[in-house]
Amino acid sequence: MYQGLGFKGFRTMDDLEQAILIMFDESGTVDLELKQKAKEYCDKIKEEQAICRICIERLCFSNLVQVQFWCLQTLHEVIRVGYSSMSLDERYLIRKAAFSIACCEGFDDNSVVRVLEGPAFIKNKLAQVLVTLIYFEYPLIWSSVFVDFLPHLSKGVAVIDMFSRILNSLDDELISLDYPRTPEEMAVSGRVKDAMRQQCVPQIVRAWYDIVSMYKNSDQELCTSVLDSMRRYISWIDIGLIVNDAFVPLLFELVLVDVLSEQLRGAAAGCLLAVVSKRMDHQTKISLLQSLQISRVFGLVTDDGDSELALRIAALLTGYAVEVLECFKRLNSEDGKAVSMELLDEVLPSVFYVMQKCELDSTFNIVQFLSGYVATMKSLSPLREKQLLHVGQILEVIRSQILYEPIYRSNLDILDKIGREEEDRMVEFRKDLFVLLRSVGRVAPDITQVFIRNSIASAIASTSDRNVEEVEAALSLFYAFGESVTDEAMKAGSGLLSELVPMLLSTRFPCHSNRLVALVYLETITRYLKFIQENTQYIPMVLSVFLDERGIYHQNINVSRRASYLFMRVVKLLKVKLVPFIETILQNLQDTVVRITSINYSSKELLGSEDGSHILEAIGLLLGMDDVPATKQSDYLSSLLTPLCQQVEALVMNAKVLMPEERPVKIANIQQIIMAINSLSKGFSERLVTHSRPAIGVMFKQTLDVLLQVLVVFPKVEPLRSKVTSFIHRMVDTLGASVFPCLPKAMEQLLSESEPKEMVGLLLLLNQLICKFSTLVYDILDEVFPAIIGRILSIIPRDAFPSGPGTNTEEFRELQELQRTLYTFLHVIAMHELSSIFLSPKSRDYLYPLMQMLLYASCKHREILVRKACVQIFIRLIKDWCAKPQGEEKVPGFKKFVMETFATNCCLYSVLDRAFEFRDANTHVLFGEIVLAQKVMYERFGDDFLVHFVSKGFPAAHCSQELAEQYCHKLQGSDVKALKTFYQELIENLRIQQNGSVVFR
Amino acid sequence: MALPNQQTVNYPSFKLVIVGDGGTGKTTFVKRHLTGEFEKKYEPTIGVEVHPLDFFTNCGKIRFYCWDTAGQEKFGGLRDGYYIHGQCAIIMFDVTARLTYKNVPTWHRDLCRVCENIPIVLCGNKVDVKNRQVKAKQVTFHRKKNLQYYEISAKSNYNFEKPFLYLARKLAGDPALHFVESPALAPPEVQIDMAAQQQHEAELAAAASQPLPDDDDDAFE
Repeated sequence: MYQGLGFKGFRTMDDLEQAILIMFDESGTVDLELKQKAKEYCDKIKEEQAICRICIERLCFSNLVQVQFWCLQTLHEVIRVGYSSMSLDERYLIRKAAFSIACCEGFDDNSVVRVLEGPAFIKNKLAQVLVTLIYFEYPLIWSSVFVDFLPHLSKGVAVIDMFSRILNSLDDELISLDYPRTPEEMAVSGRVKDAMRQQCVPQIVRAWYDIVSMYKNSDQELCTSVLDSMRRYISWIDIGLIVNDAFVPLLFELVLVDVLSEQLRGAAAGCLLAVVSKRMDHQTKISLLQSLQISRVFGLVTDDGDSELALRIAALLTGYAVEVLECFKRLNSEDGKAVSMELLDEVLPSVFYVMQKCELDSTFNIVQFLSGYVATMKSLSPLREKQLLHVGQILEVIRSQILYEPIYRSNLDILDKIGREEEDRMVEFRKDLFVLLRSVGRVAPDITQVFIRNSIASAIASTSDRNVEEVEAALSLFYAFGESVTDEAMKAGSGLLSELVPMLLSTRFPCHSNRLVALVYLETITRYLKFIQENTQYIPMVLSVFLDERGIYHQNINVSRRASYLFMRVVKLLKVKLVPFIETILQNLQDTVVRITSINYSSKELLGSEDGSHILEAIGLLLGMDDVPATKQSDYLSSLLTPLCQQVEALVMNAKVLMPEERPVKIANIQQIIMAINSLSKGFSERLVTHSRPAIGVMFKQTLDVLLQVLVVFPKVEPLRSKVTSFIHRMVDTLGASVFPCLPKAMEQLLSESEPKEMVGLLLLLNQLICKFSTLVYDILDEVFPAIIGRILSIIPRDAFPSGPGTNTEEFRELQELQRTLYTFLHVIAMHELSSIFLSPKSRDYLYPLMQMLLYASCKHREILVRKACVQIFIRLIKDWCAKPQGEEKVPGFKKFVMETFATNCCLYSVLDRAFEFRDANTHVLFGEIVLAQKVMYERFGDDFLVHFVSKGFPAAHCSQELAEQYCHKLQGSDVKALKTFYQELIENLRIQQNGSVVFR
Repeated sequence: MALPNQQTVNYPSFKLVIVGDGGTGKTTFVKRHLTGEFEKKYEPTIGVEVHPLDFFTNCGKIRFYCWDTAGQEKFGGLRDGYYIHGQCAIIMFDVTARLTYKNVPTWHRDLCRVCENIPIVLCGNKVDVKNRQVKAKQVTFHRKKNLQYYEISAKSNYNFEKPFLYLARKLAGDPALHFVESPALAPPEVQIDMAAQQQHEAELAAAASQPLPDDDDDAFE
């Protein structure tokens, strides 16, 4: 159809119109080149001097919406970007044309196109152009825009509709705070609002009133749009214009008359909500709220919670309630409080109703509001009857909100993707509601407990199709409530607890096979264990819950796994009370134990193997008690340990003939076994194993020997190393010094070709040994120290780690971690009277590099805490290695190193650096250690120290003679605190003199 | 409605406008749909790309002509002119860039000026990125304006279909409408496992909701 490529001769359509049509084509039948040409043509027109005139002409005479749109878009752009460079004539022209079109002026000429009869988007675009003019010209240049418009409203629907669009656009483009605005736009917005308030707002409100009154029966759509527009303005115009004997009755009439459209009634409700929400002082506000007689709309709260009107009414009522509550909180007068409480009592039943029946768009507000309401009750005890009623209602709201939808039941049960999403959503959603539940529980504990009891009872009895969800919700309430119950209250079974817990234990829920129900049931029992602790008659019930198909033998693996963990918690808490039941428990767990101890996992089953650890930990806790007779104890334990160890031995023995593809599975098996043994051993204390029941100790010792074989047979397998290391940690705790004989061999294995991460593990083990046994581990340490240090020094940098791009890798992080752990290791050695290790013949070679490394770290390490540790090491070494002045040198050269290098670099230069921030707490502590180091050096070296530090170091830092003398004086005194304060002043003083020059860095 | 060399189709089709700041991932998002990508027509001169995306519903096939508009002003073109006759829309922002969410109201306003009362979906993209700036709880705009909100990750296809399903239901006036087969999607570019992520979050939440243990668990496990 577009044959005239030069845009010529197409009857009534001229070139520009044709080009615009091509550009806006949506049919897809225009080729790209042509489109490009059309665009270039239009862009060229935009450059023309008379572009405004061209646009206005087309706007008035073209019937094509694309052309109209393009013209309005172009006008908008010209004004927005180039207003200041437009001529007065041009401005006048646009102003006059846009205004005339908007209010149908001069339309006697039939050839003029009636924009107002066109599509909405053209009218909106026209409104945008007018608002852009208002932005630049109102009120200074074009002060009459609004007052001039008002008389035209009498022309009817089209002009009224256009007027509303202009007001909406003014709000959207300039006034509303919903959009990001520049400070300049904010200023213009303020100016426009001020001028309108002064000049024309009353007339506009009058017009709104007249229009709605006149058209409410004949053109409801028009009235709806007028009210929607008015709603936007209520927040900043004089409220008296709306809240009066004329407008309020009109609004309520619209809301209440049921022959009107839902949209119109909803729009009126929206205006009332804007009135209610208007900011003002609370005394005025409460009078306003009272005057509205909101109870008039309560009748509109219906079961049909999803209709538009119902939602608007719900929003009005909740908004009203929020404001009343706010008044109650803010008003101090007796009268004000009384009135607001009265209004609240009046509106709350409806609010509770809509909360349960309507799909309110944000539950967050419900919770916030209810929490606010509950908070007011804290100061009002005892509660009045009405408030108690409201508490019940609030609990009912919470219960109804936390219910799962039955449609997700099977998804949640098998925990597929949908189920998981739904559960995550609910967990998140419930958080706030449970916080609310607990505050209700604190304000009204009795009612809350009765409510929970009734919920559980009625859920059990319920035959509705959502009974599973009801049970789950009721139990969840009880579970969540427990978080706010104090230990004392729980032990005493205060309130209804002594009824509720037994009821829970004795109830068989028909839906116990449901995953969520089973889980929350077990969690709840675990939460209320403190009650059982005091009421031991219920222990058999608790045990049977965990030991039958409701717990560990539940058909759902997720439940049984969780049950295993929770059972372990039960045992931990109740163990002394469980002695009479040990036999029963073990009998019940026999199947499980056999399964765990005869581990022969295929790789698939491995995933589910962790539950074994918890069961074994529970058993270990039971067996490890003194009350268990010695023979029984060792029989039980050996019945568990022997098969496990035998398996390891078998695996170790056959390791050589393993096929490569078998290896991973076997290694995983061994890991499982070690974890199982580890869990089992947790219940046995050092006292029991080494003193009262040495036979048990022997068994663990043998087990350790077996497991250490693993290191030999499967060398350099990281997961095995870490598992065995964990077990050694445990045995160090359990067996005490009797583990020593095993250690050298174990260390040797762990050390060979170890990765940085493994090295860290080894250092931690050594740290544990040193902290527990101090000098007793000297020989072991002396054996491994050189190898460890040699290995570490070969892989970590001696000074700073490189920084910058490419250095933030896992490998670097591991090395940094290793370096940090090394400093801790050295610190632990020094602090446990083992510094002679550094001097031992085997380690002597490393003394120099270690000292250099410590020196560097004490001055420059990135982490202040590491620096502190290094300074502390130096202090310790000085004390250990340097006798009093004139004493013999234990470590030749050390004194010189400390005085000349450590003292100057660490105690002076490193603190002179401005990066040394005295106000930082950690740095402050480090500074204290640095001062202490000086004190110790002076004690040990006497005047030698002063000669080096003060006579040589200070002058180089431009320290005055006078300050130096004062320093010596303080150093010789006994007040370390005073020395610290003085030294800080001295350093700050020197920094100023240095004036930023960094000669010492 | 179609573009050059694109067959008009004999099943329902709708113009879908996608807006949002530059760099929020609008183009990546529509390009995940492979048939649409195959048939798309690029019109660089006017700053819009139109992708026909087909979906298979229980009521038959439907097509969205996705108008992927340039977020950046510099492309010039028709700007809000592209929105004319739009029947539904997606507003996209980037959860890792706060400003893109701040600008959502402006995109919404400009869209509604031209298309009154069309169904709109708000999409928070890039939820696969760990360093989120806009948390799910902070996204409230959709509530004020009655839009649907979805968190998506264009790069990992997470929730790709959700916006289209919502719009299809609204346009068909059938809340039970559903997709009967998945469109061919480009394979995920990032290996962020959303399931793992959710599991992780759920675990965190579960951990947070647990009471503190009665005693310290053993230090070395």
